[in-house]
Amino acid sequence: MLVKVKSIANRGIQTLGVDVEINVSSGGLPGLEIVGLPDKSVAESRDRVRTAFQNCGLKLPGRKIMINLAPADINKEGSFYDLPIAAGLISASLNISLPDDALFFGELSFDGSLRHTKGSFLLSLYAKENGYSRVFVPSSCAKEAASVNGIFVYAVENLSSLAEHLGGRRIISPVSSGSFTEESQNFSYKNLSRDEDLDIGEIIGQEYVKRALEICAAGGHNLIMVGPPGSGKTMLAKALVSILPDLSEEESIEVTKIYSLVGKIPPNCGLLRKRPFRNPHHTISYAGMIGGGSNPLPGEITLAHRGVLFMDEFSEFTRPVLESLRQPLESGKITVSRSRCSVDFPSKFMLIASSNPCPCGHYGDPKKECTCSENKIRNYQAKLSGPILDRIDLHVNVLPVDKNRLFSSNRSVEINSKYILDRVLKAHEIQSKRFEGEGIFFNCDMSNSQIEKYCNLKSDSKKLLLQAVEKFSLSTRAYFKIMKVARTIADINGENDVEADHIAEAVQYRSKIFLQ
Amino acid sequence: MAGEVSISDFLYPEMLAEVPSPPQKIYFKGNYCSEIFQNCLAVVGSRKMSVYGVRVIEKIFSVLHKDISIVSGFMSGVDAEAHRRAIKLGLRTIAVMPCGIDYIHPENQADLYEEILSNEGLILSEFEGDFKPKSWTYPKRNRIVAGLSRAVLVVEASKNSGSLITARMANSYGRKVFVVPGSIFSNLSEGKTQISNEFAINIDSGFSINEFFGFGSGTNTYKNEKKSDSGNNVILETLKNDPMTMDELSEYLSVDISTLNKEVTYLLMSGLVTESEGKFYAC
Repeated sequence: MLVKVKSIANRGIQTLGVDVEINVSSGGLPGLEIVGLPDKSVAESRDRVRTAFQNCGLKLPGRKIMINLAPADINKEGSFYDLPIAAGLISASLNISLPDDALFFGELSFDGSLRHTKGSFLLSLYAKENGYSRVFVPSSCAKEAASVNGIFVYAVENLSSLAEHLGGRRIISPVSSGSFTEESQNFSYKNLSRDEDLDIGEIIGQEYVKRALEICAAGGHNLIMVGPPGSGKTMLAKALVSILPDLSEEESIEVTKIYSLVGKIPPNCGLLRKRPFRNPHHTISYAGMIGGGSNPLPGEITLAHRGVLFMDEFSEFTRPVLESLRQPLESGKITVSRSRCSVDFPSKFMLIASSNPCPCGHYGDPKKECTCSENKIRNYQAKLSGPILDRIDLHVNVLPVDKNRLFSSNRSVEINSKYILDRVLKAHEIQSKRFEGEGIFFNCDMSNSQIEKYCNLKSDSKKLLLQAVEKFSLSTRAYFKIMKVARTIADINGENDVEADHIAEAVQYRSKIFLQ
Repeated sequence: MAGEVSISDFLYPEMLAEVPSPPQKIYFKGNYCSEIFQNCLAVVGSRKMSVYGVRVIEKIFSVLHKDISIVSGFMSGVDAEAHRRAIKLGLRTIAVMPCGIDYIHPENQADLYEEILSNEGLILSEFEGDFKPKSWTYPKRNRIVAGLSRAVLVVEASKNSGSLITARMANSYGRKVFVVPGSIFSNLSEGKTQISNEFAINIDSGFSINEFFGFGSGTNTYKNEKKSDSGNNVILETLKNDPMTMDELSEYLSVDISTLNKEVTYLLMSGLVTESEGKFYAC
């Protein structure tokens, strides 16, 4: 007897359909075997399923059972084939037919219950795109799977309840997909390794950098901060999260897809709303940064998609890691190529880098003398300079705040995260209207032709910009970056045209001498 | 032109022959003539020069008499800036190397090296060939810098720095030592305070140097090339009194950062203000 069950396989961020074919032969010695390029976790499915059946009081047919995962030339990875195999075996042993338009997905525990399994969001997306209307997933994944509209999600508690449902004795009622706005409001972000949001108003002084952060948040621009230790670079970067608006629905789907793939969505959570904030340590490997593995998995830059990639101690990262950022910074995606396959991951992130000006950290510090040799400083800064730096829109010096000010009482109370967030939101609104149908969200994504179209400089602004390029010997890329930043500044001010004043402010964040 | 001159040679610089242990032989490249050694002013200072140092050199040099030659040690920072500024103003310049005559150190200043040679400057060293610099060659080099010069100008020097050694050496040879005052908050001023308490003379313009060399005071080439229309710019006036960071300016003038950003850019563009490590200086 032959049963076919539908499931999926993930190659990078792409999902393929897989047929789980189960054949119970009419003769032969009893046994269970899996073929179809299973990896270790799939092969072990055999023992999990067998034990779970036993512990649930279900009987396996006492004959030779062959399981094939088709197409047989694609590697199958992951533990989620337990449920399709189990469903097929239930169907074969109890002689029940399975629904045609259903996908099965989930890992079994020995006691027959289903465990939280990564990737259920991808399953639902695949189901929707390929005309399947039902998915069977572990109950802790139901919310994640139900984030895709128009799919009936069956939350399976354990093997017995599945058998009862399939046999028609006790029906599991499908979970409906909630609307985006009410979804996952009470989601715990601690699980995404995010610190409690720091209010930008808590940071004393540093108004110059705060303004730069506001511009970054409003237009999605990249930023590098250079300054001595203890000047507050890390704190400022962390505060950026608090002035970033939540993800839009479109963006949220992109991000949730990635987090679902790597299993970073906690149980009972749906679409992600907050922008990711990734803070990799500088000892990170090349593959950890851009993604890797024989069946490539996303790296930090992809996990930071639509969010912030904060690289503290930027110049301490190894050179290959730094250079690998070039392509994604420019194109918003990364191609991870391995001998067996090559995968594109989205990686449209906001890069916030911070660095000391020299190895000892005190070069240019008004209070402390730098002890580094001229050569050391040059080598250190050489790592910062060049192509990567050219791709970063805003450059700022961060100087330590005067100790006396730490205790002073006249701190600005009105400038807090909420105040800035409001302005950022307005700027986002203007941008989303402007870029409707263009396929981009923010000013930072504009192509050169779009810059021409939307920045439309008057002659005096153009003259100023050309003068600045001349004066600070900026590259052509920098020329366009300044226009993008000026566009964002105009958006924050709610103005239609990019004026000379906006260019002037944008130039201010691009004219740093220390990096040239 | 390249070659070598030994101490017995009549072309050997007289001033240098006077020092306690003069080099027996000096190698040179470039324009070796007796005039270039006539009125030598050594300029010494820190390798990590601040914007203040650049401006000191700019101001002092701008009035120097054309017959004064600038002697320095070809290091980065004050040395390089002194050579560059001298070439720009048409002053003769002598670079004394801590390494062999055929070796360029630091390498990244090869362009300056060429510039010195093509502008009738002179490269000197007591070491031959492509001998690499060693820690002991720097003080030996300093003795030549001090020895060649009738006076030494200390631009910026931290406590116990090499520039002070040169200044002390020059003093012991009976040469004049000039020093420009600096901010009491800068550690590049500490050394200057030290020597000005002992023997150095504080100056605030190049005329004092001209006078010492016997070229009279005042009257010379100094043109007040200060740009116009700085009139009543409050930011510029503030920066003239005290260099500030953007945050300090914003607090001091109670102007928001956004407005300040663009105003300062306009000032930067017109060259009235420069920036270094986050601090803005009026020019």
